[in-house]
Amino acid sequence: MDTLRFYVATVAETLLRMLPFPTRTGLYAIGRPGPDSPVLLTCNFHLTVERVKRALRGVDCWLLVANSRGINVWCAATGGLLTNHDVISVLKTSGIEERVHHREVILPQLAATGVEAKLIRQKTHWKVLWGPVEAKDIPGYLAAGKQKTAAMRRVEFPWLRRLEMAVAWGFPISAVTALVAWFVWRAALVPLVALVWLVALLVFLAFPLYERFLSTEGVHKGFIVFDFGQSGVQVFLWVLVMAASLLIGQMTGGLTWGYALRWGLASLLVVVMVSIDLMGSTPIYKSGLHEDRLLSVRLDRDLCKGAGFCEDVCPRDCFEVDREARKATRPRADACVQCGACIVQCPFDALSFATPSGEIIPPADIRTYKLNLMGRRIKAAG
Amino acid sequence: MTYVLMKVLESAPSRYDKGIRLLTRGGVDAAYDWLCGHVQPGQRALDIGCGTGALALRAARLGADVVGIDVNPQMLALARAQAERQGLAEKVTWQEKGVAELGEEADAAFDVIMSGLCFSELTPDERHYTLEQARRLLRSGGLLLLADETRPRDVGRRVLHVLIRLPLVLLTYFLTQTTTHALPDAPAMLREAGFEIDEVRFNRLHDFVAIVARNP
Repeated sequence: MDTLRFYVATVAETLLRMLPFPTRTGLYAIGRPGPDSPVLLTCNFHLTVERVKRALRGVDCWLLVANSRGINVWCAATGGLLTNHDVISVLKTSGIEERVHHREVILPQLAATGVEAKLIRQKTHWKVLWGPVEAKDIPGYLAAGKQKTAAMRRVEFPWLRRLEMAVAWGFPISAVTALVAWFVWRAALVPLVALVWLVALLVFLAFPLYERFLSTEGVHKGFIVFDFGQSGVQVFLWVLVMAASLLIGQMTGGLTWGYALRWGLASLLVVVMVSIDLMGSTPIYKSGLHEDRLLSVRLDRDLCKGAGFCEDVCPRDCFEVDREARKATRPRADACVQCGACIVQCPFDALSFATPSGEIIPPADIRTYKLNLMGRRIKAAG
Repeated sequence: MTYVLMKVLESAPSRYDKGIRLLTRGGVDAAYDWLCGHVQPGQRALDIGCGTGALALRAARLGADVVGIDVNPQMLALARAQAERQGLAEKVTWQEKGVAELGEEADAAFDVIMSGLCFSELTPDERHYTLEQARRLLRSGGLLLLADETRPRDVGRRVLHVLIRLPLVLLTYFLTQTTTHALPDAPAMLREAGFEIDEVRFNRLHDFVAIVARNP
């Protein structure tokens, strides 16, 4: 029964992955937990909760589901929808404090962009441990005495995840396409829907082939095609495709207003899908809409005391802490995705963002002002 | 879907007030004015989820000493700026705090507790906890003033509510990126928590409720 529910949720919520699916918040008992059992916390995106519960089969523990407005951990934490307050709230109002003797809660590592371990401890006396990125690694993490391997800290984009994202794109776009086609071009409904799925699958499954062109460094704002709304390349592309289809129409003698409209819509669909820039659907490349992908992380070596929180929370494994010198280093800085988790967690404020023009965004701003859908931090009340 | 809208809303706090006014068709101002009519000069008032300070500033203008708490620093910045413009900065203390931190306040510290469009944003556990804390924080005989969106109970009004609300939700979202949620049966919720209900006022469509409740 549980298995069936899990698969139904997986299919339905992958098709509609772009929408939030809130589920019950509060305390869940997994297995037969006691007063010394570990306490884990996650978001209230339904699919996440189902996956965590499934990953924890055979483990006796407490699961706290915090209010992330039905959105997944990473997006919610980075977008200010899974905050310190939501974590404090579930710790204080769920009744967990009466159930366990200890005060140690394991949070998903990806929540580190929005939840401050230091502040949670000050306000609630709960110690925050950053667990693995993936729920499936939790049993291994617990068995190893709450130690993470480097692999458990890293966010990857394997083919299964890419397929998931392709479906998440393909379904809503093809549904809208089918609706429009029903009215304007019924004969081409099936081929158009197939085209949408094909483009979606191609864009995501071929990702490793063109990933290296998606530069996020310096002035290159990304591979030109994947630059939605920045340079107008897609408009140029569309005009080109349109001109070609009109020419073909003219030559075959089938050129009418209806023909131009239909081929115009069909080609626009493909151009938009290709240039929509993966819209933040990958964990390793930021949408062109997000200005923060041009930021770089600055490490102030004088302030750094080598505490290692950065290494613990970095999903791209950029950091390495020199335990002798008690200093952090960033040997793999080019893998950074500007999530800001390291900056938020550093207890000494040794890390900050720098804009391409050299302006420094201090840690306090990054902790307080979260990214909105357009990838901006609205600071001023304006 | 409204959750998606909420995400954007939080990023446009300066438009929040306008959006709420549009969504409640002006009902929010009337309800807040009526509720604050129960506040006396010199009273100690707490505004839970004060947002941009709509209730807190009204109470301060009437001479109360107000503490406003909210989880959103951007909203609080707006509230603070408004208080200064209106010369009320001395009368209100703004704190970035969630309801889960109400446990820190002293027993019977307040004569009045107010909350507008906040309970509908809370989880059931949070609501329960907040009302428990509100009982503790209010002196005996103190008032709880609550205003929130609700769902009409009769079918006719419910249909009407949906018909009117749907375009308004869309319009409000496009103009201001703001939306609200509905609170299930609020008077029953307060009674269950041990409050005595003094007065309940609905708007004509029964989709906005204002309640004056008393801590026995």
